[in-house]
Amino acid sequence: MKRISIYLFLIVLILTSCKKADDEFSFPKKPITIIVYTGPGGLIDITARKFADVASKYSEATFVVENKPGSGGIVAMKRLLQLPSDGYTLFACTKSNISKIVSTGGEAYIEGIDWAAMMMADPECIITHKKQNVNSWEDLVADAKTKDGDQLWLGPANGGLDHVTALKIWDEAGIKAKWIPFKSGGKARAALLGEQGVAYVGNPREVLGNDELQIAAVSSLERLPQFPDVPTFNEFGLTGLDNEFMWRGFVLKQGSPPEISKWYDELFTKVNNDPEWREYWERGGIDVVYKNSKEFTEIVNKDKEQFTHYLQKIGIINTQATNLLAKLATGKTLNFLVIFCIVILLIIWYIINRSTNRKYLAGIMLPLFFIALSIVFFLVSYTFPNNEKVGPSVVPRLWILILIPLNIFLIIDIVSKKKEIEKNAGNQTVVWGFIGLLVLYLFSIFYIGYFISSFVFLFVGIYMLGYRKYLTMLMISAGWLLFSYLIFYKLLYVPLPVGKLIEMLF
Amino acid sequence: MEILTNMAQGFSFVLGWQPILFIILGVIMGILAGAMPGLSPSMGVALLVPFTYAMTPTLALILLVSIYIAANYGGSITAVTINAPGTPSAVVTSFDGYPLTLQNKPGMGLGVSLVSSTIGGFIGTIILILFSVQLAKVAVKFHPAEYFALAIFGLTTVATLGGKNWVKAFVAAMFGLLINTIGIDPISGVSRFTFGSVNLYDGFSLIPALIGLFALSEVFKQIDEQNFKSKKIELEKTKWPTVLDYWKLKLTIVRSSIMGTLIGIFPGAGATIAAFISYDVAKRTSKEPEKFGHGSLEGVAAAEAANSSSVGGALVPLLTLGIPGSASTAVLIGALMIHDLTPGPQLFNNNPEIIYGLFASLLIANIVLLVLGLFGSRLWVKVTAVPKKILYPMIFTVSIIGSFAVRYSFFDIAACLGFGIFGWILRRYNYPVAPIVLGIVLGNIAETNFRRAVMMGDYTIFFTRPVSLILLILALVSFAWPILQNKIYNKKMQKTKNEN
Repeated sequence: MKRISIYLFLIVLILTSCKKADDEFSFPKKPITIIVYTGPGGLIDITARKFADVASKYSEATFVVENKPGSGGIVAMKRLLQLPSDGYTLFACTKSNISKIVSTGGEAYIEGIDWAAMMMADPECIITHKKQNVNSWEDLVADAKTKDGDQLWLGPANGGLDHVTALKIWDEAGIKAKWIPFKSGGKARAALLGEQGVAYVGNPREVLGNDELQIAAVSSLERLPQFPDVPTFNEFGLTGLDNEFMWRGFVLKQGSPPEISKWYDELFTKVNNDPEWREYWERGGIDVVYKNSKEFTEIVNKDKEQFTHYLQKIGIINTQATNLLAKLATGKTLNFLVIFCIVILLIIWYIINRSTNRKYLAGIMLPLFFIALSIVFFLVSYTFPNNEKVGPSVVPRLWILILIPLNIFLIIDIVSKKKEIEKNAGNQTVVWGFIGLLVLYLFSIFYIGYFISSFVFLFVGIYMLGYRKYLTMLMISAGWLLFSYLIFYKLLYVPLPVGKLIEMLF
Repeated sequence: MEILTNMAQGFSFVLGWQPILFIILGVIMGILAGAMPGLSPSMGVALLVPFTYAMTPTLALILLVSIYIAANYGGSITAVTINAPGTPSAVVTSFDGYPLTLQNKPGMGLGVSLVSSTIGGFIGTIILILFSVQLAKVAVKFHPAEYFALAIFGLTTVATLGGKNWVKAFVAAMFGLLINTIGIDPISGVSRFTFGSVNLYDGFSLIPALIGLFALSEVFKQIDEQNFKSKKIELEKTKWPTVLDYWKLKLTIVRSSIMGTLIGIFPGAGATIAAFISYDVAKRTSKEPEKFGHGSLEGVAAAEAANSSSVGGALVPLLTLGIPGSASTAVLIGALMIHDLTPGPQLFNNNPEIIYGLFASLLIANIVLLVLGLFGSRLWVKVTAVPKKILYPMIFTVSIIGSFAVRYSFFDIAACLGFGIFGWILRRYNYPVAPIVLGIVLGNIAETNFRRAVMMGDYTIFFTRPVSLILLILALVSFAWPILQNKIYNKKMQKTKNEN
């Protein structure tokens, strides 16, 4: 039996390698993954899934959507650029990613990506509350002038597209206002409904389903067919604001073979012309437009310039450490400082451990650790730009300034009362042994994957705690292996690590 | 009356074999997801969203909200049986639920948590059905200054949690608040304390921290103390709460349910804060406050009723305004959108079958949860009988999936282990770890709203707005009271000692 299977395997291997040697182009040979940079359920996730749905009409390919959330897309882009440029990975991208790239200094990502296709554009617009006195564009301008910089605009995070659009609007209209950032567009919209500010910047779709909201002006060349009553900025004589939009598209890693690029170009064009695709998005006021790689790259480069300009202006990027304390907390001196703190802590540990006051060891070391951590964080907080009334360093410093006295109090309390006695040590060696095993487990997950590692870990772990019924141990390890594989990996699509070595082999 | 006809219609949508089957399925999956350390309600919902893309909108919503409700309860199972809360809000349940298990009364903890959960869920849904529109109007008026004051009020519960060790409890809370500032600053957009690491741009995720601080550190502690004895023999003798036991808790459950619903309404506050605050209030108003933390049934009831009722609250802004009140409802919005439905006031007029079908399924899901839970509790209680030498390594393998599934990141697994070791060391030296979780949950709300409020006005805004002023005064009182009480108690003790 065994021999036959080996022969079979060899035959299959030879056959597949023969097929590879064939020069004839056939793509795709395996499922295409679409990486989404948010969790399931976001707009971009829906875009990717709808695309997979429609695209399967026009090609034999299977599309798999993989969610890779984190750091506003940086994690997902990193993943894309780590994979080979064989065309089997698409990345569902939005304009927000450009803002993130610029603010984190990741210009290399823009170079490394083949901006394959822009699929849709949402024009940016100003949304106001109908019941407030200030709700049209003229009202906004007049009100801004009387309030002289105290008019409140609400929206999502600083430095994002909506904020930059607002900054541009203020520049063009020659007004001043304040941007109040919220955790998400939805929360800012709630604040507008609560009349906590006068304007909200977002896209037209966001007024749908809510009678109290209206659009004051939209940034497009002509009026939108879904909102025929909404004026454009052009109509108010503002020239630079006819093309501010949020785009979404699909990109590849730079350097895929030209046949594959051509294959994708055709697919994107077909999807773009698909009536189901167009109707689905246009009903929600989203412009379905297709820009090919060349046009898209131009748009991206323009976006990058604009973001760089505004993010510098509001101080998110290009912050030089000017102050002495800030210099102390950057680069090598910071490393030195951290090492210095650790060394001091170790020395104190050693001294107390050797002295007669050994029983107060833990009582003193933990507060000292918190104090050292606070000092490092306090110094690092000087590297943050301070361009607002309450800057990014204010609140962390507040917590630190409460944390330090509390810990000093604890130390004094212990030293003066001398009543804290270390707990009767149990079996710490087993715990540390177990922790060592866990660290090994983590490394092995990285290299040989979750499933094999967990099997071995469960067996060894149970053994280490002194259990000796081998059959039960084997059954539990194998049972968990099967359960986690079927339920999490297969059914719920949790992409548990398969392991670097295994990936390399297959 | 209109509501009654609408609800009758809603029930007619839901009372078919298919919707009921989906509710049962959703409840079972939700309980399991909630019970696994690390699969929070929002993740349970998120993992299932892709399956619902192919369903009809009503069925999809029914399935997702059933999971959402059941997962909020499921977290309490592991909190009570092995002190490894499956969800952030179940942390509070573990304060009294686990001591009950240690006293060989796991049935009491499980029973009370199930019944309070379902009653809480029921009250939350009723409030949602009757008052959602009016409540939403109040919720949007809630100013950043008031959110800040609410967060500070939430933080003062640390004083109650800490008890004798209140200084250490505050150190832990401040540590939680401080590490919460790691990552991109939500207000200015600059990165803070990331030390150049991309993994830290979003800061430490709550779930890995939670698993590490509770589940892992608990296991380390047990191994340290060589506690491998399981309670197999006494299982048959396990006591279950009687009707009288529940009747005694009626006030606590109703009060906590109402508070939970109200706190759940405010976008961003959510189940965890609701549970902490309700627990705090329950302890203050209790006739036996000294029992809290040592297996008080009131404590379990307060925590579970609050976190389950907050589901109803969180759905208020979602359905009436189209704004998510919690991470789970944010996922629900996506699910609505994929089916071409825009949440908001117009949804009530355009698709009443969905809204009232949803309301009806919420009520039914709570009943299903109660029935399944009553059967299940007999099963959960057996968890305490699994040999510890097998259970502990299993907890690790499960925890790793939980912390990995948050954002599919390896870093989170390592962070989870780090928090586990640190949590074990802290607990060894009598630092409570729950305040760290509270700090991580509240830090962002406190900071962003503080800065937002100052940007919108100036520093006096916290005292000129009446609601914020009242909340801050309440916070001050509730901060000082337990500490003073403790001092007075200590003095009394000394006096009696001296007299003796």
